[in-house]
Amino acid sequence: MCYLFSMKVAIAQMSPVLGRVDKNLEIHLEFIEKAVKEKADLIIFPELSLTGYSLKDLVPEVALRPETSSIMARLLTASKDIDLVFGLVEERTENPGLFYNSAAYLTGGEIAHIHRKVFLPTSGMFEEARFFARGHDFMAFPTGSNRAGLLICRDLLHYSSSYCLLAGGAGLIIAISAAPGRGITDEGSQGFESSQNWELIGKAISYFSSAYVIYCNRVGLEDGVTFAGGSFIYTPDGELCLKLPYLEAAFSIQEIDPDLIRKARKNRPYKRDDRPEVIWRSLGRLLREKDED
Amino acid sequence: MKINCPLVTRVLTNFIREESQKAGFERNIIGLSGGLDSTVCAYLAVKAVGSPSVFGLILPYRDYDQEGVSLAEEVGRILGIKFETIDISPQIDAYFSGHPTDNHVLKGNKMARERMSILYDYSARLKAMILGTSNKTELLIGYGTIHGDMACGINPMGDLYKTQVRELGQYLKVPEKILRRKPTAGLWPDQTDEDEIGLSYEELDRILIKLVDERLTADEVIRAGLEEKKVRRVAELIRRSEYKRKMPPVAKLSERTIGHDFLYPYDWGK
Repeated sequence: MCYLFSMKVAIAQMSPVLGRVDKNLEIHLEFIEKAVKEKADLIIFPELSLTGYSLKDLVPEVALRPETSSIMARLLTASKDIDLVFGLVEERTENPGLFYNSAAYLTGGEIAHIHRKVFLPTSGMFEEARFFARGHDFMAFPTGSNRAGLLICRDLLHYSSSYCLLAGGAGLIIAISAAPGRGITDEGSQGFESSQNWELIGKAISYFSSAYVIYCNRVGLEDGVTFAGGSFIYTPDGELCLKLPYLEAAFSIQEIDPDLIRKARKNRPYKRDDRPEVIWRSLGRLLREKDED
Repeated sequence: MKINCPLVTRVLTNFIREESQKAGFERNIIGLSGGLDSTVCAYLAVKAVGSPSVFGLILPYRDYDQEGVSLAEEVGRILGIKFETIDISPQIDAYFSGHPTDNHVLKGNKMARERMSILYDYSARLKAMILGTSNKTELLIGYGTIHGDMACGINPMGDLYKTQVRELGQYLKVPEKILRRKPTAGLWPDQTDEDEIGLSYEELDRILIKLVDERLTADEVIRAGLEEKKVRRVAELIRRSEYKRKMPPVAKLSERTIGHDFLYPYDWGK
């Protein structure tokens, strides 16, 4: 899709059925139809939106091979009318038996990009690395007149991830999430305390990357865990321009203005003054020293 | 220690409604004792699914806790739910007349399991999901009967300490008499939890929050100024009661063993 002036982004803050890709495909197609009717250019679903989150041993059973999957084919067809971002369990044909927590960006009937979650939370209540293989890259990619980058949940909390997308020129940082709500002692909060961490980093990353940060979190319950909702969009100036409710399903369309990326980068030239070669050298030195330890 | 009561209420009512529906139940059933936990749970259930869909069972043994029975009936009336009282004395007495004991704990455990047995029977009769009423304090120190009062379909309040349940009870406006009442498991007449455990719930929760939520070691909690003997005792109670919080271990033999590496989610396909 080509966005000359503004683009309309739909966020589906939904709750997938755990382990039922067939049912979830139908749910996706319903949201897509709604978004197309309202003339949205892009619709974003949460992390693992095709499968649900707490999969454990269901991971291989719900995995898709993007090249051959009939589910993917249905979504590719849908992407002729609207760009799609959604979450899936991906098995790569060239590397069978490895399963990734992936996010796909589809446009015009093609796969524009698949991001494989790099930072798999595996501590406390999380056990992703027990079931998923790790991704190895953060890459910005072209979508019409913009560049976008995909992150999955915990990826966003590691600010190095967004830095890679800034260095790659992304003006849209799209983070899909299945973040559980935790923390109930803040009496002034409408949602869980953990939601505040996401908002804090979303605001900071959008401002310092002079990029839109679009965060789509899921809702619903799985095995006693409540997902927090509270999806948001921050402008390239760090201003909140969309906030969805905590805890409950919601669907919303927000018009965003890619020209704000240009303006922000003109006024605060973090992107122009970025020095990836310095970062590269510094990280290279750190890694060499680490090897020598 | 303080909790965001409106948020907690929203999450727990949603949990009760959604988890019951996912399991195919249209109703909820609760054992009402007239104590704080089961009362707060009943209030949450009514908020979640409405009073016509909540059923209360009052299951007294002899006259061990008459005040509890009348408070439980009062809760049932206030909430406008259907409830029934079943005296469990005949079956308990029948058993102990053949196997006598003076041990209060043995008797109390038997009563708790009889109540569980009736709750499960009514659950099947009424197609109602059993709501557990164990709180985080009890679960952590193991102050409950395994397969007795700890048995349930789902447990809405297992991540709230006793003192937090009381705070939630105030917010939900449960009767003042119940908020003020000394917690009792009803094991024998005039029994109170705090006498039996040897610590007040305030003391227990203060220690538990440090050990569990703040992840401090017992030594660190003691250095922070809490009484050594009590901290050590609570840490030991947690350690000794882990078996009550888990499914029994299955001896691993094959490549795929239930509980070890056969790990499907509870909410699969729901």
